[in-house]
Amino acid sequence: MSVIKLDAFEVRLGGRVVLDGLNGELHGKAIGLLGPNGAGKSTLINTLLGFHIPSRGSAHVFEMDTRHERARIRQTVGYMPENDSFIGSMTGVRFVRYMAELAGLPPREALERAHEALFYVGLGEVRYRKINTYSLGMKQLIKLAQALAHGPRLLILDEPTNGLDPMARQRMIQTLQQIRKEGSIHLLISSHLLRDIDQTCDEVLILKDGRIAALCNIEEERRSHRNFIELVAVGPTKDFCERLRGLGCESASFADGRIKLVMPGGIGPQDLYVAANQTGMQIRRIHRRRDSLEDIFMRAMEADPNRRELVRL
Amino acid sequence: MSVYKHAYSAYTGRLTPLWSRVVVVVRYAVEEALSSRITIGLFTLSMLPVFVYMVGIYLANNTLARTLVLHRNPVFEIDARYFLNVLETQCWIALGIAGWIAPRLVSFDLADNALPILLSHPVSRFGYVLGKFIALFACLSPVTWLPCLLLFAYQGYSSAQPWFVTNLRIAGGLLAGSLLWIAFLSILGLALSSWVKWRVVATGAIFAVVFVPAGIGGIITGVLRTKWGFLLNVPVMMTQLWQRFLGEPEVMRADLHLPTVAILIVLTLACAICVMMLNARIRGREVVRG
Repeated sequence: MSVIKLDAFEVRLGGRVVLDGLNGELHGKAIGLLGPNGAGKSTLINTLLGFHIPSRGSAHVFEMDTRHERARIRQTVGYMPENDSFIGSMTGVRFVRYMAELAGLPPREALERAHEALFYVGLGEVRYRKINTYSLGMKQLIKLAQALAHGPRLLILDEPTNGLDPMARQRMIQTLQQIRKEGSIHLLISSHLLRDIDQTCDEVLILKDGRIAALCNIEEERRSHRNFIELVAVGPTKDFCERLRGLGCESASFADGRIKLVMPGGIGPQDLYVAANQTGMQIRRIHRRRDSLEDIFMRAMEADPNRRELVRL
Repeated sequence: MSVYKHAYSAYTGRLTPLWSRVVVVVRYAVEEALSSRITIGLFTLSMLPVFVYMVGIYLANNTLARTLVLHRNPVFEIDARYFLNVLETQCWIALGIAGWIAPRLVSFDLADNALPILLSHPVSRFGYVLGKFIALFACLSPVTWLPCLLLFAYQGYSSAQPWFVTNLRIAGGLLAGSLLWIAFLSILGLALSSWVKWRVVATGAIFAVVFVPAGIGGIITGVLRTKWGFLLNVPVMMTQLWQRFLGEPEVMRADLHLPTVAILIVLTLACAICVMMLNARIRGREVVRG
């Protein structure tokens, strides 16, 4: 069963098309939602939660239609919004209990789960303090605690590391990795920080101008045929690149002597040394690079946004 | 999930029915309203007139007490006029209490942008507003119809004649007049509080909406020499309505009497505007046009 299924999904807000004909199925345990500002990430999340009505097409969360089964979806989902969102006059435990009760837990169980969720995210010691006395990091964590308290099947996190210091960010990432490892919850993490997505997700959906620019499995992509090499060289790099192109390598040379290569199958590092020797160039350093999420993202951003079909990288 | 194991586990227990989520909103809203000492103080003060009116009923029905306290002076009669005074006193106190409580119910949620989180749970916007409405309605009930009906019951119990049965219309009028007023106050209070972030300003806005149009209505009535200006005057409209509910002769000149239908239409229109205000403001997400 797919976690999220989009079928010619279009959302118009204020007379403007924000999401335009999205198609695709997401199955991952942890799905990253990437895209530049204004790409439509938050709108997609809000529409999945039923805050906006799709103008065309449909979206399903665990086979439940976002248009007709909003209450059931909200029962299944835990949501951590991007901006501050809490009741500052309440204590941490009371707020999380309130949210758990709204999600359908009986009062006694809600209180129990609220305590547990607060200890789980690391706010156990401050759970009786009013939320408006919390630091920014604590406020992020209380939003995570309330999203977890009712035991959702899908946890939607909108910029979960926003405004966190490096320590708090690392702790948040570790918590998300732990949740993913536990296995009962799927994660949908929206972020503009590639590193966060890289560390927590196994599948990524990249949006650009309201359209899907890429939808791929990060692990599979890393294991793909692409083999990147970065060289630092001295000498006639232009001749060297020409020679390598003859061997079927894609290359790009830079002013400081750096050369980036994509090696096809059958070409190895020894061929580079042979080509360097023949062109009189000296190789000073050689790096073998894996395809990073940044590469995937940058290629998706360079892709033609008018192309309607799903881009598989 | 457990406190000492520090590990996550899914919830597998029973869930409450969907309709009961409104009750959760009501419960937390009432607790929020009563968490303030000022609220408790206002409720206590609102009981003072009830106590005074109760003493009045006691004196009117107890010959010995009347002799000792009033020294055989002519005594007031317990009739529709007496209960109209009770109703008017309690209803205007209810306005003060609504002005204090309504902003507490909504402004706290709006001030910290809690709506996206609240509405991401299985409770609809309608359910959320209904919950807050019921909470405010419930808070105003012990100030209005409950003490009014208790005083009516006390008078029925104390009176020697078969007073209770012959004056049942008063009880109906007290109930209808109170319910109409607190329903109006509740929706008005919530709508205005949802548009004003600061509680003090919201309280002021509630009073202003009741009394400022009354002044404008008075000017219209005076300048144009028409009774229709009173349709902007909530105190006058409500007084006329309460008099009719209780069957009490109206004190205003006959040419200034407003038709009941016109009053009800104005109140309905005001409520419709409040619903539109709530609909525009109570949202999980704001949509910026353009």
